[in-house]
Amino acid sequence: MKEPQIIVCAKQIPDPEAPFSDVTVNVEKKQVSVDAPDVISPYDENALEAAIRIKEELGGKITVLSMGRKVSDTVLRKTIAAGADSLVLLEDPLFEGLDSFSTAHVLSCAIKKIGDWDLVLTGRQAGDWDSGQVGLILGEMLDVACVSLARSIKIDDGKLLVEKTVPVGYEVVEAALPALVTVSNEVGELRYVARSKMLGLLRRPMTIPKWNSKDLGCDVERLRKLQLTELAPPADMGRECTLIEGSAEEQAERLAAVLAELR
Amino acid sequence: MIPERPMFWKINDVWLFYTIAFLAICIFAVGVGIHISVWRKSTSKNKTSFSWQAVKQSIFEIVFGIRLFKGDIQAGIAHFLTFWGFIILLIGTTLLAIDGHVYPFLTGKKYLFFGLSMEIGGMLLLAGIIWSLVRRYIQRAPRLERRLEDGVVVLWFLVVVCSGFFLEAVILSAQRPPWTEWAFFGPLIAGFIPQATALSIYPGLWWGHALLCLAFIAAIPYTKLFHLVGAPAAYYLHHSPVEASEEPEEAIASGVQWEIAETAFLDACTRCGRCVQACPSAGAGEPLSPRDFVQTARHLLWQEHSPAGDIRFLLNVDGIEGDKAAWFCTTCGACMEVCPVYGAPFRAVGKKRAMLIEEGKGVPDVLNQTLERLFNYDNPWVSSKRDRTVWAKGLDVPVIKAGGKNDGSSPRQVLSRGPLCYFVGCTTSFDARAQAIAVSFSKLLKLAGMDFAILGDKEPCCGDIARVVGELGLFQEKMEGCSELFEKLSVSDIVTSSPHCFHTFLNEYPGSMFRVRHYSAVLKDLVAGGKLEPKKALDFTVTYHDPCYLGRHNRIFDDPRQVIRSIPGIKLVEMAHHGPDSLCCGGGGGRMWQGQEIRGEARMSEIRIREAHRTGARVLVTACPLCLIMLEDALKTVGFENELKVMDLNELLLQSVSDGQ
Repeated sequence: MKEPQIIVCAKQIPDPEAPFSDVTVNVEKKQVSVDAPDVISPYDENALEAAIRIKEELGGKITVLSMGRKVSDTVLRKTIAAGADSLVLLEDPLFEGLDSFSTAHVLSCAIKKIGDWDLVLTGRQAGDWDSGQVGLILGEMLDVACVSLARSIKIDDGKLLVEKTVPVGYEVVEAALPALVTVSNEVGELRYVARSKMLGLLRRPMTIPKWNSKDLGCDVERLRKLQLTELAPPADMGRECTLIEGSAEEQAERLAAVLAELR
Repeated sequence: MIPERPMFWKINDVWLFYTIAFLAICIFAVGVGIHISVWRKSTSKNKTSFSWQAVKQSIFEIVFGIRLFKGDIQAGIAHFLTFWGFIILLIGTTLLAIDGHVYPFLTGKKYLFFGLSMEIGGMLLLAGIIWSLVRRYIQRAPRLERRLEDGVVVLWFLVVVCSGFFLEAVILSAQRPPWTEWAFFGPLIAGFIPQATALSIYPGLWWGHALLCLAFIAAIPYTKLFHLVGAPAAYYLHHSPVEASEEPEEAIASGVQWEIAETAFLDACTRCGRCVQACPSAGAGEPLSPRDFVQTARHLLWQEHSPAGDIRFLLNVDGIEGDKAAWFCTTCGACMEVCPVYGAPFRAVGKKRAMLIEEGKGVPDVLNQTLERLFNYDNPWVSSKRDRTVWAKGLDVPVIKAGGKNDGSSPRQVLSRGPLCYFVGCTTSFDARAQAIAVSFSKLLKLAGMDFAILGDKEPCCGDIARVVGELGLFQEKMEGCSELFEKLSVSDIVTSSPHCFHTFLNEYPGSMFRVRHYSAVLKDLVAGGKLEPKKALDFTVTYHDPCYLGRHNRIFDDPRQVIRSIPGIKLVEMAHHGPDSLCCGGGGGRMWQGQEIRGEARMSEIRIREAHRTGARVLVTACPLCLIMLEDALKTVGFENELKVMDLNELLLQSVSDGQ
């Protein structure tokens, strides 16, 4: 078979692992601001890792797509450093704060514009809003087979073999290509990108295509913003530590009592 | 009749002997040549200036076998006997050649004395070899391997020596000279050999012995016998001064590039296994063997840089898996301490890590995340810089102000005027247990009336973690960040909480202009100068755990002990492993930030806690935030909480100085 052409959708988000003291929740403006560098959504990194492993085995080409009002190529160039072949940024003021359906629409336009592809990988959900919808809606729009929550992806003899996580283990799913798979963390962390490699890449001149809504020919009328009805910080983020003294038996007993009380 | 030795007595085809000897020496020379070419090709810095001091020091250590006696007297004696036996026979054979070809002088008394010396040489060698065989194959010393090479090389040696003695006996039986009382073994065996038999087997035996000897010489560079050449080279290179390069680009490269002393060590290694015995990770049943690591590194280097590939023909190291093992090393340096040829297996681990980081594959997940966080948040603890000074709340610790002190003078000049900069360090700033170090040290500095200040929330990471796990590009960035900040704030005198920051600033920041001390040195001076007076008697027994990067890496063993001894009433006892032989707590080398995928049968920290417990001390004192956390945790998991307490040196001293507040 021909070498697979893979598209990975990656979202740039504020680091979901940012220390708590760096996160502020503005209830009135319904905004969460994180005073930390942006990163690629962790599940999307898992998706990229899955793509790179397929490429290592079968060859082919990986294109990374990222959409937003303004996306930083210093963050997204990491995908190239890790092993992707090209990066396409979808930038337009209209792309800010879109809901899942509209996001999927923009991505589908971009994927159709790219044309030649066999497999689209997305993270199971984005690390900021955790909606987990874009991947499957996008699959529907592209009119291809979709498999969600993959823990392992293989292409064998032109067919797709996916281990899909279910609550009590996993299912092995077979599908024809082209297809879309949403990837879960069980696939494994994205390989480490050494700083020296990253710096080398940032210094190298690179033309990264940027497409806006006109380039994509997407239906601007259909783009809707995500509507937040309410935003509130978790009730009490304070932590309290009590040391339970006594022998092992006494400690267990007291701990059980504490847990029972909290329940 | 004058005692003498006729050259090639009853031996025909002497030309054949010389041809073979010439060939053997050529094979030897080619082997040594390939080694030197591999060393040159695999290293970037070939600038080594000649040093007489290094030559003298090396000869002294080689002649007395000092590194071999260290920690293992039995092995030291076995090697000493073998070494001197070999040297005496080598000198003897050389004299014989001079006597035969240049100037005949071995006659009469001189010849008898010569014969006696050779006899003694042979006996020393025989004793050394037999002892070595017993240690390896009968006592089966745990650190020794029993690979094909180990057996063949020693047995070869044994056959050479035995055939030499037998040949002597045959000659004595054939010639029947009147001076046999000058020898021990020869005449003893000669009695059993009739003269006719002696005469008939003599030529075959002579050739056999000669060929074995020549083949032995030829085999030196192709077996572990290469240490005959490699060890002296490694000694010399270890003692000769290395010119440090100040180019940052080169500093990055030098992590993966080898230095000539390091490659010489790889080839000088005889797989003696002292490193395995000393390694705390191997001791905890983890899959790290420094010896295997060195052998794999050596093998790969040869495959890359030798046109003929690896030339060791009796040793197969292909099956040794090194990628995962690399992440187990704590870089504690115990291997370097015991290595007879001054090798540092942990540096070979460092190169491997740098390669794995560059490739990106196989980096343990937690470490992968930690390095990302270190880049994003300037600390490995996923903490906000806003929280860096949480420990100082209510303590009124001064923070250095930007630009205030900078009057354009060089940092050296500011030295006497600027405040002492207390570099708290990431772990001490953020970890709940380690924060006690910062709190107690600041209190002590205040009590002593010291003019000091911290960097506050601007304090960066020194980069140590990045460096030890092989992320040299990130280390470079951290180093530049730190250096720029120090320069901007005219920081010229630094004291650190962590021996790791201390080591990094002292040894890994080339060309730095500031002075750096670990807090133990500052405490020692304050106590000695009377600025801190330990008044309150602490009537209990303590033991002290040497942090690797304070003790072994920077040879500071006494400062903390002096501080402890200055406290009235206290009794300091030592653990089985202390000083240069201290046992790592398991927190170094990035191990603090690695998850479940990296663990062995036991925890190093628990092994250490048990050792401390055996001393009967009530308090285990240490001087490093990582040791403090590791040992404190182990104390809980082992269940000695009621009998033993883990304390930082500052906490202990403060108890005595502050009069029990």
